[in-house]
Amino acid sequence: MSIFERTESPPAPPEKPPTVVTTTRKTRGLSPAERSKRRAGWLMVAPAALHIGIWTLIPVIATFYLSFTDYDVFSSPNWIWFDNYVETFQDPVFVKSIWNTIWYTFWTVPVSMAVAVVVAVALNQGLRLQRFYRTAFFLPQVTATVAIAMVWLWIFNPQYGLLNGILEFFGLPGKAWLVDPDTAMWSVIIVGAWQGIGIKMLIYIAALQNIDNSLYEAASLDGASAVRKFFSITLPMLKPATFFVFIISIIGAFQVFDQIYVLTDGGPANATTMMTYEVYRSAFQEFRMGMAAAQSVVLFAFLLVMTLISRRATREED
Amino acid sequence: MRVTPRIRSWTGLAAVAGLVVSVAACSSETASEDTDATAGGDSSAAASEISGTISLLTPIFEGTPGQELLEDELLPQFYEMYPDVTVEVDYTTYGNLNEKLTTAVASGLVPDVMMMGVGWIEGFADKGVLADLAPLGLTEDGLKEVYTDSIVEAGMWDGDVYAVPIMLDTRFGVARMDILEEAGYTEPPSSWDELVEIAEATTVRADNGSLDRAGFDMMSLDPRQAFEVMLFSAGGGLFNEDVTEPVFNNEQGVAALELMTDMVNTYEVEDIGFASPDDIVNPLINGRAAMGIAHNNLWTQALEADESALEHMEPFLIEGEVPGMFFGGTLATVSSNSSSPEAATALLEFLSSPDVALAANEQRGNVPALTELLESEYVQSNRFVQFALENLEYAQREGGPSTWLEVRGDFAPAVEAALLEQKTPQESLDDLAALVQDAINR
Repeated sequence: MSIFERTESPPAPPEKPPTVVTTTRKTRGLSPAERSKRRAGWLMVAPAALHIGIWTLIPVIATFYLSFTDYDVFSSPNWIWFDNYVETFQDPVFVKSIWNTIWYTFWTVPVSMAVAVVVAVALNQGLRLQRFYRTAFFLPQVTATVAIAMVWLWIFNPQYGLLNGILEFFGLPGKAWLVDPDTAMWSVIIVGAWQGIGIKMLIYIAALQNIDNSLYEAASLDGASAVRKFFSITLPMLKPATFFVFIISIIGAFQVFDQIYVLTDGGPANATTMMTYEVYRSAFQEFRMGMAAAQSVVLFAFLLVMTLISRRATREED
Repeated sequence: MRVTPRIRSWTGLAAVAGLVVSVAACSSETASEDTDATAGGDSSAAASEISGTISLLTPIFEGTPGQELLEDELLPQFYEMYPDVTVEVDYTTYGNLNEKLTTAVASGLVPDVMMMGVGWIEGFADKGVLADLAPLGLTEDGLKEVYTDSIVEAGMWDGDVYAVPIMLDTRFGVARMDILEEAGYTEPPSSWDELVEIAEATTVRADNGSLDRAGFDMMSLDPRQAFEVMLFSAGGGLFNEDVTEPVFNNEQGVAALELMTDMVNTYEVEDIGFASPDDIVNPLINGRAAMGIAHNNLWTQALEADESALEHMEPFLIEGEVPGMFFGGTLATVSSNSSSPEAATALLEFLSSPDVALAANEQRGNVPALTELLESEYVQSNRFVQFALENLEYAQREGGPSTWLEVRGDFAPAVEAALLEQKTPQESLDDLAALVQDAINR
């Protein structure tokens, strides 16, 4: 018997996507057993659907609605059309936060992806203590960002921080890393890139383990060097994982908040403020929920555009 | 939905009102003694009738020592007085108080008793979140008999009393006299010129130019509060008299911010980032600064970190056009929506009673709001608190318009922009004033 032989023939693919009308007709023609099966399916889906409806769909709709109002928590919202959006784009601090977020994303995403792929390849070679290293690299991902930020606060501390200690050892002057506008953003980017390596590394390791070893064997027979194999086999074979990592990294970078909250409070002079931080400030410091909702919609639009671009790129690759 | 103060019968509050006024007027008896002394006749009957579970949101009493003080020492006294009342405490910090209150209001679960800062009352009273305390017999005149006028005004909005002061946080100059004496100065500075002169004389830099000792430390303080101290010292204020316009960008305000900017960039008596409000040890304690603007709890910090530093630290008013000192503080309020207003009021009364307020102040190293506590052992043993109380007449507070909480976060970036020379002090303050004016006009 061929391994492709099946005892039952596979179900034929539908000729065209079912529409609501045909579904209804089909339901009418279903046997009691099939109807019961369908009801069971709906019942099983219901908890997830309810969860998404209550905790995702309603808040999203509410956010869109509130973004057109002057809701301030204390009084009932008044419809103000696009005033919040106009003010959002006229606010130099929010505009700065958009550029800061893009700048942060521009650096943290590729840097952390590049480091992650190198680390993943290195930790996929069967090294001694491989599991320990994998855990060590993944640890920042499962540690609270606030705790991580506290450690980095110490590292960047101008007086007793590790970084200035090392510089001092080499006779170099230290810096106030988090309060100097020239270095504050770079400091935040370093923390962001470092923290993002773990999850990306994990995804890359999983993808690396799916690459057919015969490709490497064939390349070796052809005399390919390790570098050539990396660029000609590993990287191309990692493309699907890379696009996935790229999308989640962009979304994560655009949503950066807690490390800014702990490390810099958006300062100095708004040098490190991000879109999410401005949303927080509008909502909880200025009590302008309508404005915060509008800023959230702007953030959502950015993420949507980035995701669509990435998806299209992925589809083209596929 | 606008939260309006609920018109309710306030049954039984008349008896409690008498209690509040008498307790506020009491001197140094213990809290339980207060009860004994005042809760005779109708009052004790009223106390025994009060019942319910109430919530308390507090940014003070946080941390293990604060929690132990409240739960192990103070609340048991309250339960003795009101055995049928249960208090559920929600601890927070001033940093998170905004979020707590916003989510509480949005969810309709406003704590029955809330402790807030100076500058916070206006906004929440204006929005109808806080109960007017007038039905309890708390009047402006009555309170001004036992508290300093400006502190009472911090708890008022639109002519009504919404909060009772519990503690004050003050900011003033502190000099390390051992360092000043080394440089040939026997007194703290008495003018801005002297401040600059002494700061320059006491600044120490290493060969590579890095700062070893700041002549005048402003970075250990929130930039807004540091600016406010200098602004008040310049004879300026934040708003005009009817709080409809910001005035901090006038001549005095610009002069104050220019001085701060010059201290960093021209006289180079401190570098940006040399110190921060998050530092574990204030630079005045370990001698990394010769002078600075400091919080009154620096005394308590020094007691814990290095007691020997205390003998060298001398508080002084920063003298510009006028002596400058800033005060903030913590006030107790009652929710306008409390389901147990009698119990909430009883707790407010208890928390603002002299001995409870004294204990809370002592735990935080703060300045008791009650003038009568000047003679207490705690105040007499803490030179900074004593200094603050003796000079309260010069102290000015922040806040004013109901939108203060919305705009206060914009001060730090504006001050930083000037210190970093991204903008001139005038540009920085003008931009900030425009933001503040927009908020007031909204």
